[in-house]
Amino acid sequence: MATSNGSAMHSTRHPDSRYSASCLLSQTNPEALMSVSKPTDVAPTLRPPPVMAPSGMIISANFSVTGFSKRWSHCHQMANFLARYASANEDDPERYATLLSTFFNELLEAIYRNHEPSGDIIITFQRNHGRIIVTAEVPASSENLAFYKHAVQLLNQPDPMAWYREQLEHDVPDNDVTTLGLLELAVVYGSTLSLTEPKNGTSLTLNIELPFTEVDENECFNLP
Amino acid sequence: MRVDQDDQEVALAGMLRPFVGDQMRAIRGTLETAAKNATGELTLDFKRLKYMNNVAFLEINRFVRWAVEERPNLKIRLIISSVIPWAMRKFQVMEELYPNVSVEVYDKALYPIQSVIEDEDFVRVLRTQEKIVYNHERKLLHRHGLRPGMKVADIGCGLGDFAVRLNAEYKPEYVTAVDHSRAFLKHAQAHARSLGIENIEYQYGDAAALLIPDDAFDFVSCRLAIQVFHMPDQLMKELCRICKPGGRVYITNEMLACVTGFPDQDLIRMGYRRYLELSRMVGMDFDIGVRTRELLATAGLEDIRSDLIDINNMNTDPNHFAKVVESWIKFCGDVAASASADPVIFEEIGIGLRAHVSAILSDKGYANWPILAGSGRKPERLMR
Repeated sequence: MATSNGSAMHSTRHPDSRYSASCLLSQTNPEALMSVSKPTDVAPTLRPPPVMAPSGMIISANFSVTGFSKRWSHCHQMANFLARYASANEDDPERYATLLSTFFNELLEAIYRNHEPSGDIIITFQRNHGRIIVTAEVPASSENLAFYKHAVQLLNQPDPMAWYREQLEHDVPDNDVTTLGLLELAVVYGSTLSLTEPKNGTSLTLNIELPFTEVDENECFNLP
Repeated sequence: MRVDQDDQEVALAGMLRPFVGDQMRAIRGTLETAAKNATGELTLDFKRLKYMNNVAFLEINRFVRWAVEERPNLKIRLIISSVIPWAMRKFQVMEELYPNVSVEVYDKALYPIQSVIEDEDFVRVLRTQEKIVYNHERKLLHRHGLRPGMKVADIGCGLGDFAVRLNAEYKPEYVTAVDHSRAFLKHAQAHARSLGIENIEYQYGDAAALLIPDDAFDFVSCRLAIQVFHMPDQLMKELCRICKPGGRVYITNEMLACVTGFPDQDLIRMGYRRYLELSRMVGMDFDIGVRTRELLATAGLEDIRSDLIDINNMNTDPNHFAKVVESWIKFCGDVAASASADPVIFEEIGIGLRAHVSAILSDKGYANWPILAGSGRKPERLMR
């Protein structure tokens, strides 16, 4: 659905064809960057029909860099929208969405800080039995590419946790804050990160896989 | 952010997702002042912090590192809730990094009898109990403001039967049902799924610190749950917070000091007196029903209505009623063991409640189980 600020988010069919979603990035009413007491969500949404597909596409969002990068709060809004949609059929959608939002938000914040000024961002969210697979296609310059390559390198080092802890024990330079956000997806939530460079050289694709059934210690989720 | 200097506590709630750490300067300043003024221990309460990004986490970590260096004798306690699914994974690294820092999951100790009531046998009896109570209660719900099409929250939903029943009878827009027992929620979710119900959402949550936004529901119910919680006023505050102005908060609670019966009236009364003593040892009050109107009024509600749900062996299937009371005897045994109570108390409870069961089953006897239902309307402007 195209919007006045040029942002767009296209719905993709859920494995069950009754599902579809669209999202509007608000240009006029951004949420505060920080809030310590105000409500952060609307009341619960109605659930789509309770069909649980063990694997397949859940949602794909396609939106312009220009619209997305206008406001920092878009990261939070988009993360919550994607998380809520992806959680709609879970037994405890609220809990699932809270956790997924944390995950999406770190990814979106990294993208917000590292992208080319124009083009489209495409995020797809798929489930493969107990695992969650997120791919993010991001318009990228060679500088952006270097950043993501560095992040992937750090994540795939033998002991990323040791590096993460070392960063916490010392002052993290501003440049590393984003890297640390992505690293957290691996060391805190156990995800893997890899990078694909399409041939055209103007974008890159981040592939993130999350063993979701193991993430919530409280075993609240019943992914098939 | 809430700062309590007496308790040496700083609480952060809602969302912390800044672009840069500098945006947390005010929070950082408050934390540093609190650390400088604290003696012995400083508590940072994150139990209602629903979202936090990595930038904020690094700032909190920077503060903790600073406090550990500046105040090496100060203990820092990080309070988190099991309701926030990312909190333990995120914060535990601080406990590992800094010797003075501890992480406490506050709600682990909040519901001391949870494992007792999650017992499978007890679950079956709870279903019977729910059915008995609802048969009487259903006639009252309209008077207490429940209407079709409403957005309803059921806090302390247990096995979720109330949500299912009112969903069938009152056709709400949707029901959000919250409980702190994962075992109960699994039962509730499976039950709703088996019936093909789509508009009940079950959430794992803490009734005293709900993550639900303000003013979200037309009708907020909390049935037979305030009595098992040691901070009833805090719970009432939360129920009112999530209720829309003009909506109603509906509560029910037992009045076990008013249980009576015939024959053996004295034994029955003695048994329930001892039952109340025991339950109060573990922070529960099964006689809090008598305070219903006061609880509603203290919470700032208006247009208060109350009704006695008078369950007795003449208006209820005696066999079902007797089964429920029998289960309480077992329940008391488990509670007495967990509270290391004097065995005499449990013996006397057993004698009294067995007399109650006999009275229930007696053709010539009388036995009751009083519950008080009450509700109040949230004013347009509720003083908090």
